[in-house]
Amino acid sequence: MTIAEGEKSGIALFIPQVYDIVWSLIILLIVAVFFYKFFMPKFQAVFDERAAKIEGGIAKAEQAQADAVAAKEKYEAQLSTARVEASKIRDDARAEASHIIADARSRAESDAAQITANAQRSIESQQQQALVSLKGEVGVLATALAGKILGTKLQDADVQSSMIDQMIDDMSTSGK
Amino acid sequence: MNETLLSGVMLASGDVELPGVGDFLLPEIIFPGTPFAMDRIIMVRVIATVIMLVVLGLTAARVKLIPGRWQAAVEWVLEFVREQIVYQVMGEERGKRYVPMITTMFLTIFVFNICGIIPGFNIAATATITMPLVFAGWCFVQYWIAGIREKGLGEFLKEELFPKGVPAPIYILLTPIQLLELLVIRPVSLTIRLFANMLSGHIMVGLCLAATQLFLVESHSLMAVIGVGTFAAGIAMTLFEAFVAALQAFIFAMLTTAYINMSYPEAE
Repeated sequence: MTIAEGEKSGIALFIPQVYDIVWSLIILLIVAVFFYKFFMPKFQAVFDERAAKIEGGIAKAEQAQADAVAAKEKYEAQLSTARVEASKIRDDARAEASHIIADARSRAESDAAQITANAQRSIESQQQQALVSLKGEVGVLATALAGKILGTKLQDADVQSSMIDQMIDDMSTSGK
Repeated sequence: MNETLLSGVMLASGDVELPGVGDFLLPEIIFPGTPFAMDRIIMVRVIATVIMLVVLGLTAARVKLIPGRWQAAVEWVLEFVREQIVYQVMGEERGKRYVPMITTMFLTIFVFNICGIIPGFNIAATATITMPLVFAGWCFVQYWIAGIREKGLGEFLKEELFPKGVPAPIYILLTPIQLLELLVIRPVSLTIRLFANMLSGHIMVGLCLAATQLFLVESHSLMAVIGVGTFAAGIAMTLFEAFVAALQAFIFAMLTTAYINMSYPEAE
C-alpha cells in the first residue's frame, strides 16, 4: 500500500460490510453445526467409552480381589474343618484301637479259659476212662489171681509169699 | 495512524509496500457487488474453515479409544477448553451445555487468528470487524437466553440493572451503565479486542518485514545493518503473533463463559 491508499478512513474498519456479515454467519453456522453435530459427539463418545472402560477395569479388579478374599476364607474354613475332622478321626482311631485291643484281650482270655476248660474236661474224661479200664482190668486180674491161687495149690508160706510178690510184680508191670 | 512513522521511511524509498488500513479494506474479488462478494480476507476465512473442517473431521472420524499423537494433542485442547475454561468458570453442572459452544469458539478463533502468520494467507481470518462481531453476537444471544431461562426476563433485568447492596441514588448512575454494559459494552469489547489485536499484529509484522525489504534489500548502503535488526524484530513479532493468536482465542472463550455465567443466579 502506498500512503495515498493508506489514507483510507480508519473508521471504515469498524463498519461491517454486508457480504462480510453474510460470509461470517455462513461460516459460523457451518463450523458450529460441525462441532455440535459431529466433532464433539464423536470425541465425547470416546471419552465416555474410555471412562467406562477404566471404571469397568477398576470394578473388575475389585471383583477379583473380593473373589480372592472369599476363596481364601473358604480355603481357610475348609482347612480348619479338615483339621477338626482329622483330629476327630485320630481320636476315633485311637478309641477304636483301644477297643480292638480290649476286645482281643477279652477274646484271648475267654479262649484261654475255654482251652483250659477243654483240657480240664479231657483230663477228667481220660481219668474217667482210665478208672473205667482200671476197674475192668482189676476184675480180670482178680480172676487171673484167683485162678493162679487155685492152680498152684498153695502149699507153704514161702511159696505163698513168693507168689504174692510175683503177682504184685505182674500187676505193677501190667499196670504200667 | 502511522503516517508520520511511514513518511520518514517513504523518503528513503519509492515503492515498498507498507502495511496499513488498506490491507483490511480490500476490493471484492469474487461476486462483487452481491451479498456473497468475497475479498481476500473472506477467501482466507473460507479456505481456513475448509482446512479446519477436513483436518478435525478426519480426526473425529478416525477417533480411537487409545489415541495416537495427533488425537492426544486434539484431546488435550478439548480437555483444556472443558476443564480450564468452562468448568473452571461455571462448574461442571452448568458448564456441560456450553462446552461445545466454547470449544467451537476457541478452536475456530484460534485457527482464524493463526492464519495471520501462515505464509500465503498472511492475514488473520478474524481481521475484519465482522467475524469477531458474529462470535460476540453468539455470546450475546447466549447470555441473554441463559438469564431469561434461569431467572425470567424481569428478574434478570432487575438483578443486572439494579444490583443489590447499592444505595438507591447510585442507581441513577449505575443503571444506565449496567444497561449499556449488557447491551453494548460486552459484545463490542469482545469484538474490538480481538479485531484490534489481529489488526495491530498484522501491521506490526508487516511493518517489520517491509522495513527489512527497504533497508536490507533495496537500500544498498549501511542502512542494511538496520535491516538485520528489523528482520529479527519481524521474526520476533511473528512468534509473538502466534502467542497472541492463542491468547486472544483463550480470552474470547474465557470472557464468553464468564458473561454467560453472570446470567446465572449467584447460588443454586
